[in-house]
Amino acid sequence: MQCDRCKKRDAKVLYTEIINGVKKEQHLCEECAANYTSFQIDKPFLNNEFSLGDLLTTLFDNYSAAGAKNSFYNIPKLECKTCGMTYEEFLQLGKFGCAECYRSFNGQLGKTLKGIQGAEVHTGKRPKGFVTSTDRILKDMSEIEKLSLKLQEAIEKEEFEEAARLRDLIKQLKKEEIGNA
Amino acid sequence: MLKWYEQNVPDNDVVISSRVRLARNLESYPFSIKLQEEQAVNLVNQVKELTPILSEKDNRKYYACNISTLSDIDKAAMVERHIVSPLLAAKEQTTGLILSEDETISIMINEEDHVRIQAIVGGMNLEEAYELADKIDDIAYEKLHFAYDEKYGYLTACPTNAGTGMRASCMVFLPALSSARLIQRLVEEVGKYGMTIRGIYGEGSKSLGNLYQISNQKTLGNSEREIIENLKRIVSQVVKQERKRREYMLSLNADEIQDQVFRTYGILKYARQITSDDAMNLLSQLKFGVDTGLIKFDREFNIHKLMMGVQPGSLQWTLGKPLGSVTRDQARAEYIRKELPTII
Repeated sequence: MQCDRCKKRDAKVLYTEIINGVKKEQHLCEECAANYTSFQIDKPFLNNEFSLGDLLTTLFDNYSAAGAKNSFYNIPKLECKTCGMTYEEFLQLGKFGCAECYRSFNGQLGKTLKGIQGAEVHTGKRPKGFVTSTDRILKDMSEIEKLSLKLQEAIEKEEFEEAARLRDLIKQLKKEEIGNA
Repeated sequence: MLKWYEQNVPDNDVVISSRVRLARNLESYPFSIKLQEEQAVNLVNQVKELTPILSEKDNRKYYACNISTLSDIDKAAMVERHIVSPLLAAKEQTTGLILSEDETISIMINEEDHVRIQAIVGGMNLEEAYELADKIDDIAYEKLHFAYDEKYGYLTACPTNAGTGMRASCMVFLPALSSARLIQRLVEEVGKYGMTIRGIYGEGSKSLGNLYQISNQKTLGNSEREIIENLKRIVSQVVKQERKRREYMLSLNADEIQDQVFRTYGILKYARQITSDDAMNLLSQLKFGVDTGLIKFDREFNIHKLMMGVQPGSLQWTLGKPLGSVTRDQARAEYIRKELPTII
């Protein structure tokens, strides 16, 4: 199998990531995996310093805002289904009409919040008993998928003994699965 | 049980109190600007049902009331003691309050957000204020299921509060930095770290008696603990600067300053009428004298409590009746005379 990124070398790593509840799987060669995972570690939400990634996002945001339709003079026509507030109204008043507004304006909100708060993702308290979509995906995962995630984590942390143990465990489980089938 | 402003706590020569406020909303009602009066009534009643649960789980006695039905004097006194915000007191729609007996915890209902949990403790003690507010938040969440999104955190009426919904602040006494005209520089400096300095009654209020409020500006992206840590670091710096400046002032002309403090005491002790701004300035000078050891009293005495007591609302509330401005100034002078201890 070819690497999903470079499309040249053989894929040797199955890389699974879950960001904001969206699961994405990629088959990568070792080099791309190394590059890709180190890139992940540098992501802005892991450290609060103003990183290069941050700077680029801002630049891209500005670039796309200038060129795209969603400029200041062309405010997207969004309306909250629950309270009837429009996105334009929200921009004028600076206040939301209800909790649902956050979901209704979701596509536009990131940029707005980043402008006001310098960030768009909450990292603080989570109410007791709140089930995140990541939790839900983890719950639906098979034993093998969960172990693969752990394996990936072990490789990233360079805990190779643990990685080898997990790899063997996965192999064994896969064999059993084929046997059962 | 002693109220927070009646206790003597560490560092209160500069930091008077530490406060944490959490903004929360219920999923089942529209936010403030879309809320109808009928819904406001239901909201206030629903949140007030927390009162007995809080008394049971938090080992303090809690009371609830409707703010909108109180007299103007009661409301003014509550604003002056930081129990409710000026916004809540001014609102015409039905609004409510749950308050702990020691005035440490207050929960405003139907302010800008449906629920605003506030914990206030004396001195430099942001962690304790947060622990208290956090605990009340947990108890309240079980019953009210606040609007929460895993990406945006707690959903608030204004995007400037989204995420943690937390505003942490310290009330600081800065007479030396004020007299050296360094507050404006401090405002700019503190702003670089995402913090703000304002007058004591929050947004848009003027500074009274050299009292200021330093608080975090951003609520999204950092955790509650990180925000508290950052604020603590900034406030400690301000405390250091203020103390240095006080030392410097005293090294230049201690005799003159001591004379000024004793004259101030004389005015406060013997004046027959006094306005609230005047009283605040004089009490601020007296506090400076006490904090720097230039003047000593025969008993423990909390000047900040007196500073709140001389405000128009609190004064009339204590006397139990509304007064015209001249009689009020006379009553204020009498109140101060009675409260002031003797010099040793």
